[in-house]
Amino acid sequence: MNDVSGRLLAGEAVSIDGVNLSLGRGAARLHILKDTDLHIGRGEAVALLGPSGSGKSTLLMVMTGLERPDSGAVFVAGQNLLALDEDRLARFRGRNIGIVFQAFHLIPTMTALENVAVPLELAGIADAKALAGRELAAVGLAQRAWHYPAELSGGEQQRVALARALAPDPAIIVADEPTGNLDEATGSEIIELLFRGRAERGTTLVLVTHDAALAARCDRVLQMRSGHIEAPAPAESSIG
Amino acid sequence: MTVTVNSRSPLATPLATGWSAGFAGRFAWRDLRGGLRGFGVFIACIALGVLAIAGVGSVAGSLTEGIGKAGRVILGGDLAFSLIQREADDTERAFLDAHGAVAVAATLRAMARPSAHPLSPALTNRPADASSLAATLVEVKAVDDRYPLFGALTTDPPLPLAALLAPSDGAFGAAADPLLLTRLGLKIGDRIKVGDAEFELRATVTGEPDKLAGAISLGPRLLISEAALRASGLLQPGSLVRWQYRLRLPEPQSSDGAVAAVEKQAQAEFPEAGWEIRSRSKASPQLERNVERFSQYLTLVGLATLLIGGVGVANAVASHLARNRDTIATLKALGASGGGIFAAYCTEIIAVALFATLIGAALGAALPFVITYVFAAILPLPVEPAIQPGVLALSVVYGLLTALAFSLWPLGRAHDISVSMLFRDQVAGERSWPRARYIAASGAIIAILAALAVFTTYDHRIATFFLVAAAAVFVLLRLIAALVMWVARWAPRQNSTVLRLAIANIHRAGALTPSVMLSLGLGLAILVTIAEIEGNLHREFAAALPDKAPSFFFLDIPAAQADRFDTLIHEQAPGARLERVPMLRGRIVAAKGVSADDLKPPDRSRWVLRGDRGITFARAVPPGSRVVDGAWWSVSYAGEPLVSVESRSAHDLDLKIGDAITVNVLGRNVTARIANLRAVDWENLGINFVLVFSPGIFDSAPHSDIATLTFADGGTAAEEAQMIRALGGAFPNVTAVRVKDALDAIDALVGKLVMALRGASAITLLAAALVLGGALAASQRFRIYDAVVLKTFGATRAQLTAAYAIEYLLIGLATAVFAIAAGSLAAGLVVSGVMEFPFEWVPGAAIETAAAALAVTLVIGLAGTFGALGRKPAEVLRNL
Repeated sequence: MNDVSGRLLAGEAVSIDGVNLSLGRGAARLHILKDTDLHIGRGEAVALLGPSGSGKSTLLMVMTGLERPDSGAVFVAGQNLLALDEDRLARFRGRNIGIVFQAFHLIPTMTALENVAVPLELAGIADAKALAGRELAAVGLAQRAWHYPAELSGGEQQRVALARALAPDPAIIVADEPTGNLDEATGSEIIELLFRGRAERGTTLVLVTHDAALAARCDRVLQMRSGHIEAPAPAESSIG
Repeated sequence: MTVTVNSRSPLATPLATGWSAGFAGRFAWRDLRGGLRGFGVFIACIALGVLAIAGVGSVAGSLTEGIGKAGRVILGGDLAFSLIQREADDTERAFLDAHGAVAVAATLRAMARPSAHPLSPALTNRPADASSLAATLVEVKAVDDRYPLFGALTTDPPLPLAALLAPSDGAFGAAADPLLLTRLGLKIGDRIKVGDAEFELRATVTGEPDKLAGAISLGPRLLISEAALRASGLLQPGSLVRWQYRLRLPEPQSSDGAVAAVEKQAQAEFPEAGWEIRSRSKASPQLERNVERFSQYLTLVGLATLLIGGVGVANAVASHLARNRDTIATLKALGASGGGIFAAYCTEIIAVALFATLIGAALGAALPFVITYVFAAILPLPVEPAIQPGVLALSVVYGLLTALAFSLWPLGRAHDISVSMLFRDQVAGERSWPRARYIAASGAIIAILAALAVFTTYDHRIATFFLVAAAAVFVLLRLIAALVMWVARWAPRQNSTVLRLAIANIHRAGALTPSVMLSLGLGLAILVTIAEIEGNLHREFAAALPDKAPSFFFLDIPAAQADRFDTLIHEQAPGARLERVPMLRGRIVAAKGVSADDLKPPDRSRWVLRGDRGITFARAVPPGSRVVDGAWWSVSYAGEPLVSVESRSAHDLDLKIGDAITVNVLGRNVTARIANLRAVDWENLGINFVLVFSPGIFDSAPHSDIATLTFADGGTAAEEAQMIRALGGAFPNVTAVRVKDALDAIDALVGKLVMALRGASAITLLAAALVLGGALAASQRFRIYDAVVLKTFGATRAQLTAAYAIEYLLIGLATAVFAIAAGSLAAGLVVSGVMEFPFEWVPGAAIETAAAALAVTLVIGLAGTFGALGRKPAEVLRNL
């Protein structure tokens, strides 16, 4: 494992060093992340490209503390995630990491407004509903605040999910194929909102996608293959 | 979409043409051969209910068989002839002796007090605080040297009967219940006095073979010899002594036919003997009656358990079909009709139900064997374990019908599962109600179940009441569950995520609310009913009655010494009220010319005809009674025998003014005409009789008096002790029954019975817990989803636990409130309508119920949710 303290002082949002992770049991056990290193600067937008099964989503899980690696070091916003227990990790994630899933993952029994307010309320913020309302308005859903997820279209659901991710003003936003379940036009709207929100707040963005054009909008594009991050192609490394 | 199937294709048959028993059976087999996953709660619910019914029936049957087989031991002979207040005369005795060996046992109540005999260390050894117990009531049994004819008397130390009871050093021997030694602070070797005789306590009684045939005991047993009884002075004219002559027929002539022949001959030769004859086949009809009633009530509890389990069955079947929607749609796409789908899955459900009922029936059949094996040493009843085929068959039928009744609804809905669901995720517009034929079939099965329950129960009225109440509670609970969900849905939105999640879980699709409220609500309502009835009985026995009841009953006051007795009581308790009346024992043998055996009064008045009852004669209307029909005779009346009858008993026996009643008293039949009917206030525990005769009929018959003494202010323990001491000195043969002790004894007995009922009824909570477990398992998917998403956005395990705990507490509380209301209403109806005393709500029972409801939902709910809380988000998100 490398010494990461120097880079953290230099202002890294994400620092992953020598991470190994295997999943499954017995003969079905797969070594997914293999001595993976990843360093992302504060405010940087990074795209992770790669074929299915290359470990992109698993790396995001590790980065958000949803998966604990077998070995290695994971620092996010200066916090060693491996030093936190499950509950402290949840609290840290709620305040510092916004996540956008491909399948939205809204709570079906809560309205759009309540879904957005969830991380704020869990963090104990007093005016959670007002803040959530502003975030919903920012993604153009002020009029749909009291609708339940089942009453919203896929694009609207993803906008609610985006507002939920941005609401606590996190240090880092992680988006896993955010347009994967949407048609092209709707997907483009979501991406615009994502990048606009990120630009307004200066938030670090980690985006997993299959879409090379979308990846090109990020500061840096990384290729993952068989659990490794390969050196970025020169043409992709300095876009934006 | 239209699916066309080539008629020659193998896929076209057999479902394409609808129902086919062969295919349904094959399909069920194929679907089940992989295992019974998903049917755990179904099987457990049905097996538990069937176990309850089969178990109760098997134990009761084994007990009845045991009583039957042990009839000789319980009765003390092949036949027992029981006489009250008189011994058999020479002719009667000669008849008995001519038929076999006769053993005599006389039973009576008397007062035992520590002896002041110089040889007795009793007084010096007794603890100081025992001084208040100068004497205590004992149930005396005096036996001859042939006792017992069957079975064995066991004592500690073990002594032969002769050594146990023979006189020695101026005292007769005696064996006593250990309770007597405790009450009087005595030990083996000490002496006591009963009547005028002195007894040395030589052993404690550890086993009395004929104990079960006796009545409720108000005091500890004291076993003495017949000779000692005669020496005690307790045998006065009119003393309440029951003489029992147990007859053992010689072995070659001891068949059931021979027993019946002797009984018949005795009745024919001595029509006016007034003796109660019992044969070994009916050694203890009271016990058998109680076993039958108790078992029938418990069978109804078993049915309630099945009803509660039915909720789990319905949930399990619905979940099974939901898991198989793809299969059903595919089968339909391949040509299966809706009816064919129904038949295939119905066959599968019947197969699983049969498996479950057989498990329950097997366990139920094993119950009497297990009880006998485990508790043989401490079992007070003669259980003769045996397989009860009728009971087991009935329990299997109950189980199958219940499973079908609760499965037909979801199975009927499977009829209409749309093929189009294969092509889209959400299916809109599916029927939530099954077709009319399935609803009608459900109704028919429920009707058959109810009819079976009513007609196989001894008391149709109670069974009907129970079933109607259970059905009403069930329907109401479903409506209330819908109301609770409606309120939760439209409740003001909460700012707290935890609270919002909790409330949303109460009304969301797949919520626990209806399952929990239905299953737990019905179980708790039954428990509240029992607890409230128990609380009211306890209050009536232990709390309310003694305020108005007398402090003492005095028995066996010699009629010739009655005035002296009055003087003593007035001296000892100047302000107290004394009521004294003559009492004889008599048995109604006929009314309106109809034999008592042919009279069929309602249950509540059968006791009037059962055995002998106290009767009296009076010149004036007795206190605590008032004439409601006819007229009381004049104070100086001396005409034909007249009788006054308690009005309700008269109504139930269909007796009117002018009708004749024949009563056997002291071996003589006396017929009197009904002059009036009286309303009696039984609750004040004063001296009341069903029959009060006019003067002149029994005045000269040997009889004793009974009396009540009521202290003006209720009396203190010291006043009562002083009274006992004074009475013991002046009237050693008079028995004083402290009313509080008698009530305590009855209260303790009722308490034990109700405790057994509550314990047995708690099985409904077990069924409710199973249903809750099943419903939790069904809702686990959305709980895991919620937990994982919320954890992803910062929720801790404590916050999620709080959300689930609030959900379960709210559902549990709503269930408890309804169960308390429904249970209290049912208890109120039983207490005021059947038991006929004022109902008073007992909060303790309600609080216990609320606590039970909350504990069950919270503990099982959180235990069931533990899995959802512990799931790793990544593992779940990866598969969503």
